[in-house]
Amino acid sequence: MATEDKKREIGHEEFDPVGTLALIAVYFVILVVMWIIMWRIEFLGNGPTVVG
Amino acid sequence: MNIHRFEKGWLVASLVLIVFFIGTVAYVSAVTGVEMVDDSGGKVDVDNVTDDERFADPRVEQVGENEYDAYVVAQQFIFRPGTNSPIEVPANSTVNFYVTSLDVVHGFQIVGTNVNTMVVPGQVSEITVEFDEPDEHGILCNEYCGSGHASMGGSINVVPEDEWEGGDA
Amino acid sequence: MAYVDKRPLEARVIRVAFAASFLFLGLGGLGGLIQALHRTGYFQFIGEVTDGNYYTVLTSHGVFMVLFFTIFFLVGVFTWALTRGLDRDLNNPRVTKYWITSMCVGAFLTSLAIIGGFTNAIPLEANVLYTMYAPLQAHPLYYIGLTLFVTGTWVAGYDMISTYLRWRSDNPDERIPLKAFMVLTTMLMWYITTLGIAAEVLLFLIPWSVGIVSEVNPTLTRTLFWYFGHAVVYFWLIPAYLLWYTVLPKLSGGRLFSDPLARVVFILFLILSVPVGIHHQYLDPGIPEGFKFVAMTNTMFLLLPSLLTAFTVVASMEHGGRQRGGTGYLGWLRTLPWKNPAFSGMALAGVMFAAGGFSGMINAGMNINYLVHNTFWVPGHFHLTVGTASALTFMAGAYWLVPQLTGKELVSKRLAAVQPFIWFVGMTFMSNAMHRAGLFGMPRRTADPTYSQFSYDPTVGTVSGVNGQIALGGVLLTVSLAIFLYVIARTWFGGERAESPVDAELPSALSGPEHSPKVLDNLKLWVGIAILLVILAYTVPIGYIASDGLWSGSETYPVAIEALEVLL
Repeated sequence: MATEDKKREIGHEEFDPVGTLALIAVYFVILVVMWIIMWRIEFLGNGPTVVG
Repeated sequence: MNIHRFEKGWLVASLVLIVFFIGTVAYVSAVTGVEMVDDSGGKVDVDNVTDDERFADPRVEQVGENEYDAYVVAQQFIFRPGTNSPIEVPANSTVNFYVTSLDVVHGFQIVGTNVNTMVVPGQVSEITVEFDEPDEHGILCNEYCGSGHASMGGSINVVPEDEWEGGDA
Repeated sequence: MAYVDKRPLEARVIRVAFAASFLFLGLGGLGGLIQALHRTGYFQFIGEVTDGNYYTVLTSHGVFMVLFFTIFFLVGVFTWALTRGLDRDLNNPRVTKYWITSMCVGAFLTSLAIIGGFTNAIPLEANVLYTMYAPLQAHPLYYIGLTLFVTGTWVAGYDMISTYLRWRSDNPDERIPLKAFMVLTTMLMWYITTLGIAAEVLLFLIPWSVGIVSEVNPTLTRTLFWYFGHAVVYFWLIPAYLLWYTVLPKLSGGRLFSDPLARVVFILFLILSVPVGIHHQYLDPGIPEGFKFVAMTNTMFLLLPSLLTAFTVVASMEHGGRQRGGTGYLGWLRTLPWKNPAFSGMALAGVMFAAGGFSGMINAGMNINYLVHNTFWVPGHFHLTVGTASALTFMAGAYWLVPQLTGKELVSKRLAAVQPFIWFVGMTFMSNAMHRAGLFGMPRRTADPTYSQFSYDPTVGTVSGVNGQIALGGVLLTVSLAIFLYVIARTWFGGERAESPVDAELPSALSGPEHSPKVLDNLKLWVGIAILLVILAYTVPIGYIASDGLWSGSETYPVAIEALEVLL
């Protein structure tokens, strides 16, 4: 569909996906933090809780 | 095989994450001792549930110092006890629920908590719960069970220990 | 030369598949709107008689969306991918016509059974929802239609595999082209997957619904359903992955980061998708905890191909963004072609999938699942995954494929450009509210989740806030869907005929298959391992469950009128 709009050619050897690395590292941290938060909500809260 | 070093790093990080997830679940299971609903509740003859001594007169009864057994029958579209009158348990107790169905698959959850189980005809779901302070909670069926499913709710009252009367719904 | 000129027969089959797919998307979407307004209390026009009608709508929404919309799209996009990847026509036009017909007839019959539930005038009803297991029972036509539909897909797989085998005998030493590799591994996975539901439907549900047997074992039918029920989500996801790996890089202005890694991902799906199904039954009685733990570890490892996909796909997009002039760590995000709805739909779908992946990880955590099972959290999760990662990607892909299948240029480009963003915003409202509602205990699959005996106690927000956001989200999604259907219909029937209606060129990967071990292409090996893992995960549990009796346990609870009356 779209026009090419390509400004330059980047080959296999010259490409290091640093942006991807940064984004995925942030995602990793979010996952770990959210998992711990969920765990706390479920097992460390008050109220009736399942044991077995 | 030619894998970029960033992606190799991410592969390792992913595996660490996966092991971390499995580890936390195993920890909760093995160390904290939270068991899953399983086959330990045994079976019941689905055609004669109300003749079974456990479910003929479903009620809460004391079986130990702070331990109670609670029998609940789920059917289209009520819990017995629970719907027409609340289930009553004392505060600071451990309650073993035994839940079964007269007809189709139901769910049984104390609303907003992790006390949650499927209820399958022919099977008895055994789930052990710790109650601390006095409070009132809802219960509901969270498995579609037919046209009246949305009205299948009830309540459970956690009453101060000296107020618990013992007995049925 | 557009695809429609090069392969007219295949283009016609794909058009039929896509037409069916989008028809069911539209009907399913209407059902979704009705539900969103009904259960939040905003507009309850179907419930005056009994809430039964809500469950008819719900069954139609589930079946139309996740069985018909998704799978018709899959067979269409796979036909395109296979023939384009191998640069070859499908083998046998008669076989092709058979399977698309079988799928259409089957879908029609099942739809009839479901829609019959709206009226008592005809004795058809199937208020069993899409997760069909005993003791709730539908009219036999519901199951028979699905049998024709699924067996149709089996023949489609045969059509594609035999086309590959002919290509292989003409090309004995070549690596399997990536698009074809993806199609083949997925169809092989599908055969293994559908064994479960085929057994459930043919051995139990159909004989029971026509009265040949009077009882079935509920836990057994549940287990057979979920054997299929988890792997099927990969059948929905993989066509999206195929587009993300093979088309999105080009739309981004770049090239696929790694072909070998894409192959590894698809092999992982082939071997791991099925032996995890019991994670849908964590809270079932009658199934020992050990089996549940095994299902959990398999499920957690099944995260791996999706996590790897995140990296490879984003890296490919980054390559495109940088080739388009982006610099710095994140500057390439701005140079990406956000005005192109084929691109933006896929990119937004991927972002949303990252969030949906998280709520899926929670679902997979065996004891963590206690809090969320059967609550509104679960639909919150899957509207992000099948509802956006798949659905929005399919819509985005359609903007790029439909021109090639019809020879017409896309019309209303500016309207199309905003469509994915409206979907994203609508889904953010709706899914976020669903997740929060689930945490305070609001159930799923419930026509009106208000109860006289208690009120909810949300820690964050309010019940009316949650209901408002779900209704708002549902309306926005419907608007977005209407725009999509309008643009596609106008393009299909009215657009300008063009020699080259869209830039259909697909560049090669940055790192090609020649850099990967040949064993990756050894499909027999991977199928063997897949079967072995299924045997290890399921033989003992099914044996244990079946020891209670195969055709014993629970009487029938038909939501249909007595089956035999209809047959006579």
